[in-house]
Order: sequence, then structure tokens, then C-alpha cells
Amino acid sequence: MTLALRDLQAAMAAYLASGDGTGLAGAVAGDSIPADARLRIHRHHLHESLATALTTTFPTVRQLVGEAFFRAMARAFVAANLPAQPVLSEYGEGFAAFIDGYDRARGLPYLGDVARLDWALNVAFHNPWQSRLTAPDLATIPAEQLPAARIGLAPGTTVIRSAHPIDRIWAASQPGASSATVDLDAGGTCLLVFRQHDDSGFVALRAGEAAFASSLLAGASLEDAAFAAFAVDPGFDLSVVFRRLLDLTVFVALQQ
Amino acid sequence: MAPVAGIGLRAPHLAAIERDRPTTAFLEIHAENYLTPSPARDAVERLRRDYTLSVHAVGLSLGSADGLDEAHLDRVARLVDRLQPAYVSDHLSWSSVGGRYFNDLLPLPYTEEALGVVVRNVTRLQERLGRRVAIENPSCYLAFAQSTLSEPEFLSQVARRSGCGLLLDVNNLYVTACNLRLDPQAWLKALPAEAITEYHLAGHAVNDAGGQPILIDDHASRVDPAVWSLFGEAVGRFGPRPTLIEWDADIPALEVLLDEAACADRLLAERRPHDARAA
Repeated sequence: MTLALRDLQAAMAAYLASGDGTGLAGAVAGDSIPADARLRIHRHHLHESLATALTTTFPTVRQLVGEAFFRAMARAFVAANLPAQPVLSEYGEGFAAFIDGYDRARGLPYLGDVARLDWALNVAFHNPWQSRLTAPDLATIPAEQLPAARIGLAPGTTVIRSAHPIDRIWAASQPGASSATVDLDAGGTCLLVFRQHDDSGFVALRAGEAAFASSLLAGASLEDAAFAAFAVDPGFDLSVVFRRLLDLTVFVALQQ
Repeated sequence: MAPVAGIGLRAPHLAAIERDRPTTAFLEIHAENYLTPSPARDAVERLRRDYTLSVHAVGLSLGSADGLDEAHLDRVARLVDRLQPAYVSDHLSWSSVGGRYFNDLLPLPYTEEALGVVVRNVTRLQERLGRRVAIENPSCYLAFAQSTLSEPEFLSQVARRSGCGLLLDVNNLYVTACNLRLDPQAWLKALPAEAITEYHLAGHAVNDAGGQPILIDDHASRVDPAVWSLFGEAVGRFGPRPTLIEWDADIPALEVLLDEAACADRLLAERRPHDARAA
């Protein structure tokens, strides 16, 4: 039997995705090693290599649940979500939502949000370090033009809101972290995740700060972002928050 | 003799290479790990001032009947433009069909139809990059019953018709020869020396498949003595070429890779083409 190349590749794809090799019957030469054992090597490699890629992208989740649990969960995700392109750092966007619905992780209600944090750190890491706004740059904007100014946050920056203390869970999962326990009932958190010069990282935000950052990410002017922040936190102090974000070098440089 | 062996640049070694600037003929990166900006890509852009680079793609899927994914090709082309590497390569394999991507170097049937597909895709790749690329022989775990050409015949035809170079991965040849019961010497004899532009070397593992040993190209150990021996034969037959030590899993200290590269350099200096003819 001779299959056209496109048909052979489609049959191989069906086998790799589902394990159903009927479309490949007779296509693979067998000898003392049967054809199905030979084919299984490729299916095994595909699924295991993608599970390994998820280990790299979600190190905190992996640290929290251990290798065996993580791989079982990752394999289940991979089986239902093969990638559409070959860049592994862009694979796994749906993993957090998958974890939310993963029955065996039901006892760890924060795990999906920890995965959201790992994913956001991965996205920020894979964004450019371009020139950032400095205080002297800022001084070039006339004061009366500041309210209407649109100052963007660095590419890849995100705000994550969680009902769980995922920042403290993350810190406790890092290599060399103290063994102090994290109070899981300590309440939620808002985090600003962004690309730093040599890595990606995050800081915790108060509610007003989070509203301010989210508004800037949505393209709002400074004035409108400040109004959004006041709406959730009457104590919001624009000059303090602005200084903090400036010091974090998370504002992008002004367009010349 | 100046070193001609280089090493695969892997994330755990980036900081040490930036700090210590070890001597090596070149550094090879996997294209798909550097298509997006990152601190790691910034580091490679700094290293390119001092090191010769090789960009080795694993995801172009040169054997896809669907043709190349132009969006992915654009990203690879932009990276090559940015880094200006001395060498660019990918594999004689496929990994994509119907818009789905399978993270593996999947085998092709060696038929006239597949040859036409690969030649067309390699030609498109070279046209888009504006340069010659090298195509690497894959590690094979199976053969298709419908193949009418041998792998070296297929590779030779790809090189002849597209003008590409051939990257001879000696570990892959050893793995394929063991797994498909082929004679690696006969395989080498069937390749045109002038088309061979690079060598790759890596470790493999021995696994079980249906009660029989099967070799797995896992790049997780030192080069096997039998592969060094086959490498010596290849160098004796074809002459020295830029040679890479690859290590992708269970990555050891940088010194281990450099030591393997030094072994390759000694062998490249010792073995000359006339050795093979005299033997």
C-alpha cells in the first residue's frame, strides 16, 4: 500500500494525537521490533517532551505538587491540547484554566492562579527590554500636559488578581526559601508582572494601584487611570504610585 | 590547529559563557528558543560579537506535504538576520500537518514524491533566507514500507537538487543504523563528500522496544565510543568540517561539553582523508 505523503502524515498525526494507528496499518516496516513498538517511540516522545516543556514554563506549579503529580497533570493537558506551532515557550496558555478544572487538584484551589503567575512571568520574560521611562525623561513633559499623557507599561506587563496569597506561595516555593508556612487564608493579592533587565518579576499592588496599572495597560490617560484608582481606593496617592512604578522601570520611554 | 569543534549553547551555561568566555570554535543555538525577545536572546546578541554562531532550527518541518509555515519561516528569517550566524540548519524530517505541530522530528518515507516535497521546501527556505542551509540526517526508529530510496540516496538528491549542504549527525547515523539494521559504512559511502558541510555529535540511550534494544537519540550523555569511532571514519572519508557537541537533557557542567569538543578536535586533527583510503 502506498499512501500519498499528505495522507501518510495525516494518518501519523491521528496516531500521535489519539493512539489510533489504523490509518498506518502496513505502512511501517516491522521486523523483530514490531511496527507498533516503533511507532510508540514517537508518540511517547511527543507527549513527554511537551510535558517537560510545561515543567520549564510552570516551575512553581511543579515545585508545589512534585514531579509525579505534575507530569500526570501535564500529560492530561498535552493529550487534549497539542500545539499549533513549534515555539515551546508559547505553549501552555490554557494550562491554568485546565488546572482549575483538573479533578485531582481540587484540594489545591490556588494552583490555577499560581499557574497564571508562572505563565505571566513566562510571557514577560519573552518580551523585549526596551528603553524605559526615567525621571529626567518625565521632566520633559510640561506639567499641564501630564493628565492627558498616555504612558505605556512595558510590553508583556500584566496585572494578576487572585483570591489566594499566590505571591507568598510563590516566594515559599523558590529554591532556598525559608520553611515558614504560608497562611492560605491570608486573603487575595494583586500582582504586577513585568520584564526586568535580566529576568521577569512581580510586585504586589494595592487595589488602587492595580486599577491604575490596569487602566494604563488598557491605554487610558494618566488622568483617567487615576480616576479609576480613586474609585476603588479613596486613599490613592497618584504621586506616590507614579514614583513607585517609575522606580520599578515598568513605564516605557516616551515616543519621540 | 585552531579548534573546529563548537558546543550547543544551553540556558544553564549562558552566565558562565558570558563571564568566562571559553575558547570554542562556535556556539549553536536552537532557533525556536530565540524567536521571541528575552534576557537569553539579549545575551546571545552580546555573545555574537565574540563568537561564531550557528542557528539550528528544529521546527521548520522541511518534509511537510503542506509546505512551509510562512509565519514561522518569517520568524526564523528575522532571527537569522539579527544574529548573522555562520551556519543555518534543520532536519530531514517533518513535524507539522493540517495546522497542528508535533514536537518531534518525524520520519519521512523515502519516495520520489517526498523528495520533491523536501526539495521544494528547502529551496523555499534558502530563497527566503538568501543563503545556503544544511540538512541533517535524522535519528530513525522506523522505516516506511513504501520507501524506494535509501536515506543517503535521498539526502544526496536533496543536496544535488536544492544546492543545500548536508549536516552529518554521526550519532543519528549510528542510532539509525542500529535501529534499522543498516550498515553505517555503506551509508557513509553513498554520500557525496563535497555536500557535507558540518558534523554533529551527541550521546544516546538504549531503551527497550517490544523486548528488543532500541537506541534513543536523547542528547543526555557523552558521545558513545562507537560513535567516536564512526566519526573517525567519517572524517577520514570526508575530511574535517565544523563539528558540534550537542547536549540537551541532564545538562552537565560547561567543562564537560568543552572536554567533548576537545576530544572532537583531537580526532579531527589526527584523522585525514588519506587515512581512510590507506585503510
